[in-house]
Amino acid sequence: MTKVITENGSQQDARGEKEATHERPVVKEPDFQKIENSSNFRELMRKKKTFLISTTALFLGLYLLFNIVISYTNWLDAPFIGDITWVWVFAFSLFAMTWILVTVYMKKAEKFDAMAKATLKEFDYDEEETK
Amino acid sequence: MNATVISIFIFIVGITLVITYFAAKRTNSASDFYTAGGGLTGWQNGLAIAGDYLSAASFLGIAGAIALFGFDGFLFSIGYLVAYLVVLFIVAEPLRNLGKYTLADMINARFNAKKVRGAAALSSITIVIFYMIAQLVGAGALIQLLFGIDYIWAVLLVGIMMTIYVLFGGMTATSWVQIIKAVLLMVGTVILSFLVLKNFNFNILDMFTQMKTATPHGEAYLSPGVKYKMPLDTISLMLALVLGTAGLPHILMRFFTVKDAKTARSSVMWATWIVGIFYVMTIFLGFGAAAFVGSDLITSTNPAGNMAAPLLAQALGGDILMSFISAVAFATILAVVAGLVLTGASAFAHDIYGQIIKKGQATERQQMLAARYASLGVSAFSILLAIFAQSLNVAFLVSLAFCIAASANLPVILYTIFWKRFNTTGAVSAILTGLISALVLVSLSPSVMNPVAGAAIFVGDPIFPLTNPALFSVPLGFIGGWVGTMLSKELDIKKYSEVNVRANTGGFRQL
Repeated sequence: MTKVITENGSQQDARGEKEATHERPVVKEPDFQKIENSSNFRELMRKKKTFLISTTALFLGLYLLFNIVISYTNWLDAPFIGDITWVWVFAFSLFAMTWILVTVYMKKAEKFDAMAKATLKEFDYDEEETK
Repeated sequence: MNATVISIFIFIVGITLVITYFAAKRTNSASDFYTAGGGLTGWQNGLAIAGDYLSAASFLGIAGAIALFGFDGFLFSIGYLVAYLVVLFIVAEPLRNLGKYTLADMINARFNAKKVRGAAALSSITIVIFYMIAQLVGAGALIQLLFGIDYIWAVLLVGIMMTIYVLFGGMTATSWVQIIKAVLLMVGTVILSFLVLKNFNFNILDMFTQMKTATPHGEAYLSPGVKYKMPLDTISLMLALVLGTAGLPHILMRFFTVKDAKTARSSVMWATWIVGIFYVMTIFLGFGAAAFVGSDLITSTNPAGNMAAPLLAQALGGDILMSFISAVAFATILAVVAGLVLTGASAFAHDIYGQIIKKGQATERQQMLAARYASLGVSAFSILLAIFAQSLNVAFLVSLAFCIAASANLPVILYTIFWKRFNTTGAVSAILTGLISALVLVSLSPSVMNPVAGAAIFVGDPIFPLTNPALFSVPLGFIGGWVGTMLSKELDIKKYSEVNVRANTGGFRQL
């Protein structure tokens, strides 16, 4: 009987101690280099960079191409339908591109969020506690 | 001016004052004042971003530019919209994860140095002041035209209203004024577009055909090259537009009004849809004004074409629609200048006073007082400048603001997030190189020195050929940051790891 009580007592102590240290991970300065080198975080950064670099190159490239083409050539002045020329079609495709890429990114970002969450969980970080 | 016009005006202004009253009661801390307590939702902040972005220059300026120059006017719409991809992909989330109230906070998450904060505050203040003068001068001209009152009284009226919003309601009032204004603007634009389409019998093909003969430009109206004839100049301007948005301090500040990166992202999504749909409709406004008002009347009312949209409203919807559109334009100007005052004030009060002078030790009461005094100061200063700038051609001030934002702020933001080797010296030199090169190149450009008398501030041959120097000043900003970094041996890999992890996971926030 007494044994059980002491066991309970020590268990409670242990838990209490754990809670006390657990409550201030920010004050105790996490090891950011360790987090940075974790496989979860590196995978997140690899996927994120692949997506961001390729899409940014795509939209900035198309945008600059459009401006160069209309500034230096008359290629887009040819009619598309009736009196609507290709220059309007290209302009609207840049609008469509923006909306499509925003939608694609919103989907992608959900996956990035899940990966970021996995990283944080691995290093025992709970956002609620820092507030 | 009749009773309808006055009552619609008073009604809209009245609504915004009621909002300010309720917001003032809820503004008790520095966080409430600068960021509305960080409590806006994605769609609310998205509408507020759109509200900030669809300034008088966008609404009245683009409609007028399309009416007068056709496709070349629409070029602005394309640049302003695609810019949101830069904001969404690169800037919004890291900014929310690292920052608290201002852009300088975000850069300071990596370099805890007064000079970096000072440089970032300086570039923010410069951008805000240029942007603000442009808005206020435009506002003065518009109110003068609508009410038939003197320019000085018009500027004072707008200036006092914006000061009330910011001083008493802070970011909460400013955000809600922007949200309501964005909704009103969309409603007004939809009504006008519908009326224009109705007058073209809802036939888009027919509308394009009719536009070939509706303006003095003839067929050229539908093609690029009517207004922008110098290729490099056009490309430089378009570069400033697409990269500048991601460095505009009053847009960046909006990401601190939401609770996390996820909400920041969804607010950009909302803003992109709203702004995009609006810019599509600018075609109808511009075409409609060219066809149903005529370029003679548009330019005789206002040489820059700024009255095209209100004149179109009068032609198609009579006095009531004209009053509504004018009241919306008025609310637009008020909301945008209020947002600008708040951004300028936060750079002064939070960055310079709170963090540099008081070293972050100011009490909540001191912070609030500083913020309010700074708002008063920024308001008074810009009203004064706007009164003196009346005769200035201010169109270039907005593109200059975009150019500085792209050259001074964007490089330092990108380097801070992505470049491990970047250091304090690099951060200061990136900001200063971008800022100074943009300012110097503009002052040597045709916008300031023009052989045609009256076209610019000075008469004379420009030393630098491009009206907008972004093509040179943006690379200079990046090179400046690189050279500065290389000149200093300072390197803190541990700090970069922290910034990298915090920016990309949203964890370990230092609130």
